[in-house]
Amino acid sequence: MRVDRRWLARAGATIFALALLYPFTALFARIGPWQWGEDVRGPALSSVRVSLLLTAGAMVIIVAIGTPMAAYIARCGTRERLLWQAVLLVPILLPPLALGILLTLAFGSYGTVGVWLEHFGIVMTNSAPAFIATQVYVGIGYYVLGAVAAFDAVPLMLQEQAALLGLAPRKVFLRVTLPLARLGLAVALSITWVRAIGEFGAVVVTAYYPSGMPVQLWINLQSFGLPAVMPLLVVFLAAALPLPWLVHVLAQRRRHV
Amino acid sequence: MSWPNADVMFKAQIIKKRRDIKVNVSLELGKGSSLGLFGASGAGKSTVLACIAGIEEPDDGSVKLGDLQFFPPSLPLHKRPIGYLTQEPGLFPHLRVSENVSFGIPKHLAAEKEHCHWIETLRERLQLGPLWHAPASLISGGQARRVGLARMLARKPPLVLLDEPFAGLDRQLVRELIDDLIFWSRTLGFSMIAVDHQAEVLKRLCPEQALVLENGQIVQRGGWDELYGAPASPLLQSLLTPL
Repeated sequence: MRVDRRWLARAGATIFALALLYPFTALFARIGPWQWGEDVRGPALSSVRVSLLLTAGAMVIIVAIGTPMAAYIARCGTRERLLWQAVLLVPILLPPLALGILLTLAFGSYGTVGVWLEHFGIVMTNSAPAFIATQVYVGIGYYVLGAVAAFDAVPLMLQEQAALLGLAPRKVFLRVTLPLARLGLAVALSITWVRAIGEFGAVVVTAYYPSGMPVQLWINLQSFGLPAVMPLLVVFLAAALPLPWLVHVLAQRRRHV
Repeated sequence: MSWPNADVMFKAQIIKKRRDIKVNVSLELGKGSSLGLFGASGAGKSTVLACIAGIEEPDDGSVKLGDLQFFPPSLPLHKRPIGYLTQEPGLFPHLRVSENVSFGIPKHLAAEKEHCHWIETLRERLQLGPLWHAPASLISGGQARRVGLARMLARKPPLVLLDEPFAGLDRQLVRELIDDLIFWSRTLGFSMIAVDHQAEVLKRLCPEQALVLENGQIVQRGGWDELYGAPASPLLQSLLTPL
């Protein structure tokens, strides 16, 4: 009997997908009843609020700074572009823990900027600004690199055509470049969101308090064990994954329709 | 839409060094007249148009429409009163056909009765009615050329640049589009500079005069009869000979 090669490939892909999703079966592991008492629930819900609100704040900053930066890089010549991309790769390639230590030293009371900020009452360790700043550092490289790719995908010819039809550069950007890049920008933002909201290594150094979800998971694991981790883990997955997952699926669908 | 320099002469001298050749071309054009730039692929024809449009910057020379200096210094693209049609219709895929046609028209003008009538005329003459509300990304290549033409004409530019805008279209459609362009150039009185490597297309579109380029240099200029009667080079003779 001859086996259809396509079916063989499909079976292989299915096994691959099942292996990828296998860790989620741990949600049904027999570890005893999940703990959701007051001592677990209060800090857990607080960490959800901290993560969602402060990560949203970080996203606003990342988009505000990263979008013009990406638009600029997309217009640069090859050499200059390589230089900017190399710089953006630094926080991405740095081990998160090392990044956290560097941020604490640079923005804490040991660093020039940290001392200057303290004059204005902005404390950059174990505070909301520290949490947001860390997430910005962790995520902005992902966003800008993704946004550059999104802008690159907009044909230059369309932007020139818009200018020749009388639109000043700012209007060309708003009416042609941005709308045509929006899907790519949404994908870049969703990756950045997942990266930032799930960050543990850097945040645990710079902002142990206010604790976001990853840090709270760690605290629960250390203090109460696995049964206290599971409810927050489910909340974490529900809060962090659906939006970016949906954006990706929609983006892929648009690309292939 | 009216432009301050609609009744004037266009003059250009373009010197542009490319990797392979040095383009050195001077040309003049009166109101309502047309000029065909003819030559083999890579002769520098498109470079000349790109320099006039502002997509490329000449190394030297000058480009002027009446008293409006395009170069030097380089005038931003959005301040050049020109229409530019290329092989790619360049429609904005996120907009509808109607939005593409009205693209770039200032809001105060778009609301004027006269302008609305003008857009309506274009819509009827170019047979865009059935497509009017369709997304630009879903129309055919031939329809897209019509929309591109309407969009260019909507602003009534005094100078129109055509860079092989009929490439890849069937002969019937090319004939229709050429007739449309000639009709509108007579109606609106715009000047035209067209580039094509097909002599018969260019002759029909710009019957008055042609300019022949080889390796970036002008080798002949004059009427089409002159070109056919006494081609200045063996290459030109070969380009003018039907297959």
